[in-house]
Amino acid sequence: MRTGDFKQTYGELVTLVDSPPVWLWSAVLAAALIAAPFVLNSYALSFLTIILITGVGALGLNILTGYTGLISLGHVGFLVTGAYAYAVLVSKYHMHPLIGFLGAGIVPALASLIVGAPSLRLKGLYLAITTLAFSFIINTVILEARWLTNGARGISVQRPEMFGISFDGDAAFTYLCLGFAVLTLFATLNIRRSRVGRAFVAIRDNDTAARVMGINLHAYKLFAFVTSAFITGLAGALYGIYLSFVSVEGFPFLLSIEALAILIVGGLGSALGAVLGTILIVLLPEATRLVFSLFSAQMDAVFTTGAQELKSMLYGLVIILFLRFQPRGLVGAWHDLRRMWVNWPLRY
Amino acid sequence: MQYLIQLVISGLAIGAIYGLIAMGFAVIYKSTGLVNFAQGEMTMITAYIAWTISTTVSGNVVVVALGAILSAVVLGLVIERLVMRPMLGEPVFATVMVTIGLAVILRSSINFIWDAYPHGLDIGVGRTIVRIGGVGVRTGQIAVVATLLLLLAAIWAFFRYSKIGVAMRAVAADDRTALLMGISATRVHALAWAASSVIAGIGGVFFALSYDLSPAMFQLGLKAFPATILGGLDAVLGSGLGGLLIGITENLAGGYIGSGMKEVAGFAMIIVVLMIRPFGIFGERDIERV
Repeated sequence: MRTGDFKQTYGELVTLVDSPPVWLWSAVLAAALIAAPFVLNSYALSFLTIILITGVGALGLNILTGYTGLISLGHVGFLVTGAYAYAVLVSKYHMHPLIGFLGAGIVPALASLIVGAPSLRLKGLYLAITTLAFSFIINTVILEARWLTNGARGISVQRPEMFGISFDGDAAFTYLCLGFAVLTLFATLNIRRSRVGRAFVAIRDNDTAARVMGINLHAYKLFAFVTSAFITGLAGALYGIYLSFVSVEGFPFLLSIEALAILIVGGLGSALGAVLGTILIVLLPEATRLVFSLFSAQMDAVFTTGAQELKSMLYGLVIILFLRFQPRGLVGAWHDLRRMWVNWPLRY
Repeated sequence: MQYLIQLVISGLAIGAIYGLIAMGFAVIYKSTGLVNFAQGEMTMITAYIAWTISTTVSGNVVVVALGAILSAVVLGLVIERLVMRPMLGEPVFATVMVTIGLAVILRSSINFIWDAYPHGLDIGVGRTIVRIGGVGVRTGQIAVVATLLLLLAAIWAFFRYSKIGVAMRAVAADDRTALLMGISATRVHALAWAASSVIAGIGGVFFALSYDLSPAMFQLGLKAFPATILGGLDAVLGSGLGGLLIGITENLAGGYIGSGMKEVAGFAMIIVVLMIRPFGIFGERDIERV
């Protein structure tokens, strides 16, 4: 009988995956994702694409909120900055898409440096307040800087073509998003198990103790914020390409709430949680619509007229219910289930 | 000069509304230690209820005012009892996130309970224009400034002299010691939510009186936020005065720099305030630097 999961070296503790079955299932999942664009119809494929793009953004926010324990209420600001950086570089100045993606990461990172430097010196909720302010200021800046951003008219964006491969088709674009999502996932997992990630978690758990251990709080918080903004900017660029049109209206404030809902539903501070939360939150409005349309056609009509309102209401409800009844999120539920499976019939 | 005076006066009028809502933020922060991100939405709901009373029951000023205050009390108490009290003792992160969830629920409920079109709250007063020194001012705008000043005085006296006010300050300062002294923290929290809902609700009704009701009214909460930061999150009186300052700043920025600046002047001010004096002009709590 298995009595426990013992680690004997430090390397075993920080290894990415500690059991062969997980490798196996990950490989199955990867194969399924690669096969998906051939199997799924375009409706389902669009959901998969959205999940992948949202996942990149959620993983980006997870570095800040999940690992370091800082709230950002204005991550949509970095999303829109990234999307505009890509659109301006690629559609307006006809640069290589790769430079566009780089810009989509670097421009929000620079913006986050400006927002983060003053507010991260303070303890408490101040980052939430300044990021909220930032997400409104950036919209005005974009609308006013007409020479660069076309103001309210927005910029239309073509699907990119890189290294002789055209990502114009839906399947090809899904692969591009899949590539970004996998890269982001590994990047965040590796950050988490490095020295930097341990510093982040230490700051989240007890900042006084972290400072005593010699962690420079301001520098590491700023680093978490900048990294998070970089990744979120990439997600913004992908989302802009997906919409094929970048405008201020395409990035409503609700996206910030959606990102926080994803992290809470999935379970804070875990990359797996961010992924699970993304899947649930993206599919939730659609699933609710399906369930209600079973009951009556009238409910279905409500869903088509008030889609945006119902969506935000669902996010709000999900946030409150999860915080109240399952604060550890889906990942916590999964861990409990797994422990019960292994230890049954004993409690421990 | 005429233009400047015009801008300052209309700035004062909108600033008084920000001030009232900002006081709502501060009352809750002072007694429970959390930022209520649903303040703007609660303000909006109270204003909508006032409008419903004026169209269905009676357009009489007294009836509408009493109805609005009563419904704001009920709203504050219900939210505290159903949503916030179960979260007592949870980390600040979780409670603040709950208020954010509450905010989006309330915000979207407007479109289901009422509708998405703008409405004017017409109770026969507040829209007549009087001229003071060559500048036209609505009576409603004068009334809101007067209400703000009255409430500031009343709240100052309340916290200074009344037994409940002292109890609230005690809970804010150290809830465990307050508990040992026989003060019920939950009752103080409930009172704070009700009071904050009423104060902000009054601001919302005045806004509906001078401008229009619309589902975008929750943004008043976002506009009032800089006022609380400027005055000090834990300073109720400071927040009220901060509102006036933000209102004037916003109008001057909009009038002299550009209409886009009007929308973001307050937010730009937040960032400046946090850099220079993070606890606000009147705030007492020492904010820890890291």
